[in-house]
Amino acid sequence: MPRYDPNKIAMALPLKTADASQTEDFESDPKIVKFVVVKKREEQAKEEVTSFEEAMLPHLDAAHNLAKWLLRNEQDAQDVVQEAYLRAFRSFSGFHGTNGRAWLLTIVRNTSYTLLKKSHAIDLTTNFDEEIHATGHDSVSPATILEHSEDAQLIKEAMDELPAEFREILILRHQEGFSYKEIADIAQIPSGTVMSRLARARAKLKERLETRIGMEK
Amino acid sequence: MNCEEAIKLMDGYLDGELDPITSQAIEQHLRDCARCDQAYKTHGSLIHAIGNATPYFKASAELGERIQSSLREDATEYPVRNGVPGAQIQFHKRQPEPRSILSEIPWNWLGLAAAITLAAIIVLNVAPRLQRPEADRFLATQLIASHVRSLMANHLTDVASSDQHTVKPWLDAKLDFAPPVVDLSPKGLPLIGGRLDYLDNRPVAALIYQRRQHFINLFVWPAGSDTARSTKAMARQGYQLLHWEDSDFNYWAVSDINDKELQEFKQLFEDQIPHH
Repeated sequence: MPRYDPNKIAMALPLKTADASQTEDFESDPKIVKFVVVKKREEQAKEEVTSFEEAMLPHLDAAHNLAKWLLRNEQDAQDVVQEAYLRAFRSFSGFHGTNGRAWLLTIVRNTSYTLLKKSHAIDLTTNFDEEIHATGHDSVSPATILEHSEDAQLIKEAMDELPAEFREILILRHQEGFSYKEIADIAQIPSGTVMSRLARARAKLKERLETRIGMEK
Repeated sequence: MNCEEAIKLMDGYLDGELDPITSQAIEQHLRDCARCDQAYKTHGSLIHAIGNATPYFKASAELGERIQSSLREDATEYPVRNGVPGAQIQFHKRQPEPRSILSEIPWNWLGLAAAITLAAIIVLNVAPRLQRPEADRFLATQLIASHVRSLMANHLTDVASSDQHTVKPWLDAKLDFAPPVVDLSPKGLPLIGGRLDYLDNRPVAALIYQRRQHFINLFVWPAGSDTARSTKAMARQGYQLLHWEDSDFNYWAVSDINDKELQEFKQLFEDQIPHH
């Protein structure tokens, strides 16, 4: 005895086709044709939404988290996530990969950058003011930083000072656990660049933490 | 390898992203150079601690609802654009062929019955051959659905505890088998709790582990006598599934962490369970 009955499931299918061909009998009546077409469209639309949601809604937290870190603003993050989901939905039929989370986050990332550029809130690249930031942390030892490394608020403040490309790579690696290859795809940078950018981002974050801890002292 | 090169590659080594030869060269260097070794350890623990303490901004339920309604609106407003290319036209294109047959043969219940009979014959003959992969696919869908449901409905655990000595007796009491439960906290995979689930027409144990911000549902039920012992990995709908068996149990791990990490999880789990 099989654990479930495949015949039962499979038999439902021919029945359905039989039903569908039956309706085609009435196709000479234009009203019915129109009704059938509209019904079919509605059904199809519903199916599309359902299969999209099943694949993509589980990644909503990841999408929101990335947008929030990139935009540093809750309202913007929500707008971007909603916009990204809509974009993703419209191109979902073209998605044949297996990594839905990476695909969705690529769209979230691009949508975020569009908004960042538009609002000129750009600190996309690394040329932020080193002089203001790099002061007074000579006396902070690695052990002291480690002591403070569980302070979420401190980490948030330090992260927010970093350029977007650094925040992005740190989130993708530390929180989402993406491989270098996946990160390269999402951030649209050459694979060879991922390691060096990640190293720079980590060093900068460390530096920011040092400065903040040094100031608290 | 000198110190400068080692420092440069340290992040890649830390993330397990270097090729085996380079990894070995770094390992050799760290054995020889106490200063680099110290720097590596400090860097590693700091990165690890920062990663764990970085706040994760979950989406509000309201945002989820808003997205769902905007998708529905979009789908009904622009059904054609969203459709699979050609799906709309298909309806009309298909017309001539079935029509010519249908107009000759009057539709009646006898015909329907014949169609069903024919379908049943085909199914009975073909289905057993397809059953294995089909069954796997069916199960995979069930597993993912169960994993997603557990995360969405805020019903991740029935018994929330990182203590294997709490989770195990609880599950043992509810099930007709005693699943192995181990805590992997020291390995960065804390046990979050246990849950009862229903899969493949039977009650199963679900153990929940956490990897950073991600959850792993490990479904466990007794192994059948006929099943071949094999390890199977698949990726579906953005989730990783990993299946393995030992002499007593069937295991299915489902998560959105990557395949490599899921394999590591399996290895750690297997290392920890008591062998008889």
